[in-house]
Amino acid sequence: MAEKPQPVHVLYCGVCGLPAEYCEFGPDFEKCKPWLIHNAPQLYPDLVQVSNSKEVDGVSDQLQSSSITDGTGPSGSSSVPKQEPVKRLPGGKIKKKERQEVIIEKVTRNKRKSITTIKGLELFGIKLSDASKKLGKKFATGASVVKGPTEKDQIDVQGDIAYDIVEFITDTWPDVPETAIYFIEDGKKVPAA
Amino acid sequence: MFKKFTSEDVSGQNQVKASVQRKIRQSIADEYPGLELVLDDLLPKKSPLIVAKCQNHLNLVVVNNVPLFFNIRDGPYMPTLRLLHQYPNIMKKLQVDRGAIKFVLAGANIMCPGLTSPGGVLDDEVGAERPVAIMAEGKQHALAIGFTKMSAKDIKAINKGIGVDNMHYLNDGLWKMQRLD
Ligand SMILES: [Zn+2]
Repeated sequence: MAEKPQPVHVLYCGVCGLPAEYCEFGPDFEKCKPWLIHNAPQLYPDLVQVSNSKEVDGVSDQLQSSSITDGTGPSGSSSVPKQEPVKRLPGGKIKKKERQEVIIEKVTRNKRKSITTIKGLELFGIKLSDASKKLGKKFATGASVVKGPTEKDQIDVQGDIAYDIVEFITDTWPDVPETAIYFIEDGKKVPAA
Repeated sequence: MFKKFTSEDVSGQNQVKASVQRKIRQSIADEYPGLELVLDDLLPKKSPLIVAKCQNHLNLVVVNNVPLFFNIRDGPYMPTLRLLHQYPNIMKKLQVDRGAIKFVLAGANIMCPGLTSPGGVLDDEVGAERPVAIMAEGKQHALAIGFTKMSAKDIKAINKGIGVDNMHYLNDGLWKMQRLD
């Protein structure tokens, strides 16, 4: 046991923030459901089953990952937990391991102060330290790359800059399409475009 | 304890001096031998270690604005759930049955029957007044950090009343405080 233990990656719900397996006990399971169907289908096979039966489209026939999409029989629900969930988009397309998305969220600290957090720029090959410098300069404020021991790196920018930031991101890094940028508003993920 | 906890309950934050920092490191290392090899990453010797004092004799150990451990008075340090999720094997575990989950997540202390029922699991090695991870039937990750009021053996034998105090649980104030600025 001389090996350094590697941190376990826990799948936290993008809506309520709990470990996805606890959404069913969370503040609003209904709101979590769409996120869970796309991001944690193996945890809630029943949800996927329901949504599959609702989605009538030919594309799903071409799916290869039978253990998850074959939600018609009870065997689907007892499938072994997968390390990496296959992510599905509406329409049945399978996404790559990590979705290329930039998520912007305003976090209020006190009554007046707020921080805007930006996650996911690294998925577009952007160096976070550079990005944080550029953001700090552009908005004349404090910006830092935060290495949470519990989460992936993100950039924290002081102040509420959420609405100017989309244009700045797409201007500065043309590789990031506006359609890949999302806001978290009242716990909901809203496309910026 | 953290039910309605917010940053406004933090009465003061201090960077502790080197000797205190060493003492805290040592207690954490003694309590959680499983963290030994990652302790330098979690509590880098060069980064300032902040102790945030809060009401009810509660202290938070904060590094780079992230709360990592808490304790009460001079009691044992306990990891935050976010930290425990990353290193799930550093604490002894007790498991509640599925029926108890919603009560634990509402902040209730853990009653003996929730641990002794078919869905519960006890670890006989756990003594009284020990920090433990509270797991749940059918779930992979911990849902709370507990502090035992009686030993696992007594929980089994007495099987009545509160077996474990619920110190910190998913979605309480400490869980929501991902950062403390
Ligand atoms: Zn959720």
